[in-house]
Amino acid sequence: MLTALVIDDEQLAREELANLLHDTNNIEVIDQASNAIEGLKKINALKPDVIFLDIQMPQISGIELLAMLDPDTMPMVVFVTAFDQYAIQAFEDNAFDYLLKPIEIKRLEKTVCRLVKQHNKQIETQDLSILAPASLEQVPCIGLNRIMIIPTRDIEYAFSDISGVHIRSADQIASSQLTLKVLEEKTDLLRCHRQYLINTKAIKEIKLLENGLAEIITRNDYPVPVSRRYLKSLKEKLGIV
Amino acid sequence: MELILSLLQQMCVYLVLAYMLSKTPVFLPLLNISNRLENKLNCYVIFSLFCIMGTYFGLQINDAIANTRAIGAVMGGIFGGPIVGFAVGFTGGIHRYTLGGFTDIACAISTTAEGVIGGVLHSYLIKRNKQEQLFNPSVVFSITLFAEIIQMFILLIVAKPFDQAYTLVSAIAAPMIIANSIGAALFMSILQDRKTIFEKYSATFSRRALNIAERSVGILNSGFNSKNAARIVRIVYEETNVGAVAITDTNKILAFVGIGDDHHKPDTPISSQCTLDAIEKNDIIYLNGKDNPYQCSISENCKLGSALIIPLRAGDKVVGTIKLYEPKRKLFSTINMSMAEGIAQLLSSQILYGDYQQQQMLLSQSEIKLLHAQVNPHFLFNALNTISAVIRKNPDKARELIQHLSHFFRSNLKQNIETVSLKEELAHVNAYLTIEKARFSDRLEVEMSISSELQDRKVPSFTLQPLVENAIKHGVSHMLEGGKVKIYSQCNDMGCEIIVEDNAGSYLEPRKDHKGLGMQIVSKRLSNYFGRDGELKTHVEKDQITRMSFIIPNEK
Repeated sequence: MLTALVIDDEQLAREELANLLHDTNNIEVIDQASNAIEGLKKINALKPDVIFLDIQMPQISGIELLAMLDPDTMPMVVFVTAFDQYAIQAFEDNAFDYLLKPIEIKRLEKTVCRLVKQHNKQIETQDLSILAPASLEQVPCIGLNRIMIIPTRDIEYAFSDISGVHIRSADQIASSQLTLKVLEEKTDLLRCHRQYLINTKAIKEIKLLENGLAEIITRNDYPVPVSRRYLKSLKEKLGIV
Repeated sequence: MELILSLLQQMCVYLVLAYMLSKTPVFLPLLNISNRLENKLNCYVIFSLFCIMGTYFGLQINDAIANTRAIGAVMGGIFGGPIVGFAVGFTGGIHRYTLGGFTDIACAISTTAEGVIGGVLHSYLIKRNKQEQLFNPSVVFSITLFAEIIQMFILLIVAKPFDQAYTLVSAIAAPMIIANSIGAALFMSILQDRKTIFEKYSATFSRRALNIAERSVGILNSGFNSKNAARIVRIVYEETNVGAVAITDTNKILAFVGIGDDHHKPDTPISSQCTLDAIEKNDIIYLNGKDNPYQCSISENCKLGSALIIPLRAGDKVVGTIKLYEPKRKLFSTINMSMAEGIAQLLSSQILYGDYQQQQMLLSQSEIKLLHAQVNPHFLFNALNTISAVIRKNPDKARELIQHLSHFFRSNLKQNIETVSLKEELAHVNAYLTIEKARFSDRLEVEMSISSELQDRKVPSFTLQPLVENAIKHGVSHMLEGGKVKIYSQCNDMGCEIIVEDNAGSYLEPRKDHKGLGMQIVSKRLSNYFGRDGELKTHVEKDQITRMSFIIPNEK
């Protein structure tokens, strides 16, 4: 039995798909999410084997969600859409599996069959990175009781601690479901410490300290530590020799 | 007696001159009484000449002249008023004075007096607003009679010696009084006829032109084709009474009526080279039937002998010709020739207007089709998906949704309807909203309050629903927590504003002053129908509100 997460912004569509999946007897829908941000959180928390992902969703589309997932822990993905010419063309071109709404039972059974095979390593798992956008223009964050979408250019730095990954913008700190690794790969943020990424455009000054350490002061006067290991590469990237 | 005859003879010469002059353009202004100096001068010169001529044509009698000078003087007064009358009489009088004789002074005075008498009558009748009486020959006869009698008295009083004057007056009084009075009356009669003929001619021309214009109005608006051309040629044929009338497009005969319709058949290619020339050169071709005869290119026995071919234009482009024919035994009247040019112009502007209307119609039809094409497939498939989910839980509700979906598509398919009542448009919106509400469940809230008085007002079709769809597609559906669409009306003295509002505030105008295609078409259709004030207004407060509205103006 595979575990699955259904991500769709329409409640009835989620219920319908969950019901159909239940009837196949091969998939157990462990949860549902009504948008990409909630979906990201649940993927990280529940680690489902497969996600059924709607493409058109508010704020962050299914395709954008792909870019926010850590490739190392990426679940299998089945796209679900009512009508999206461009996405469908992309799926066709790359032989990715997708379902069209309203969902046809026979078609769904085929998909499930294939998922089971993939899961059992009988066939290769598809590499979805080709579909995902190369860079993120915005990062979804969860604040106190609300969801924020922070444009990457507004980020001063990102860091991780025991409670997760956090984003510091001019006026707030928010938690993100994205890993530092994904942020480093998909945004312009530069690694300056094992636990810190810095937006080079937000650097006001770099204070050189003893023992090859340094400290960055951002444009809003937040201090960001720079480790010995990353100082050199940071200097190189900034063109300081 | 002999004198009467010779005076009448003399008068005839005089009248022949008058008749000939009446044919020249000099005379036409005389028939309209006007105070313009130019007119007065014209009057003075012409009648002074007649006055002088009258003296020259006179017969020498006893050292005096029996003459028809009075006609010029009186007529000058009648047409030009007292001042012109005086001037004409005085000029004629001075001229007579230079010729000498014992009556010279008397004649000068009396001729001047006659001019003034004519002028006084002129003023009197004008003041009484009876100026048509001025052209009445019997009035002219009477006044000349009176003027001549006065002249005789002046002769008796002024000319010396009295005995000689008395002898002269008793000899010439009767002949001169009679000849001058009749002469003046006939002179006026000639002018009168001239005026009548001229007016009749203009009236006939105007009446016919107006008839054609009135009968043909709007026919070509629905297109320049055989059916409409046939109606036009029939009208032109009936109104101009020419031998035959045809209309062609640039390569075939569209319609033909009249002599020769046994072989000049509609829908056959143009065979006459002249017509092709007229089309190519965009010029009128006239085959007058004399040195330049029309020879039918189809049948040798064709009775038609002359033709007038005038291009029909839509803008600068020649789209066809109108052809008028006369049979060999008849020639074109000038009236028909100038009329034909007028008709061609009239038809040309109708064709142009028809083209324009046609294009407008095509445009708005294609716009409606475009709106149909914009029926969002995403909406359709999601709706079907929603329904298939609902079937499992609540089959009755599913059936209801299918009804709404059918209703939505049915009204979308009413392709050619330009306007609908607001009630119908709201029903369309309602069908759409029912589906969307089911689809978005609790994420979509709708509030609708449109004044019931507006329900029967007409609005262009497909205007309100696209606004609501826009509010959902580009508004509420982007909100993570869901949102609200409000559809309401607000009335003031100007009219009633229909407002569609969402609380997403995420509508981005693709560029400044450039709405999305769908919204652009809606705006255009609204302003086409309601006038410029009816166009779509967009108000966006980022992340707060998107408000689209238009005004239904008050009914006049």
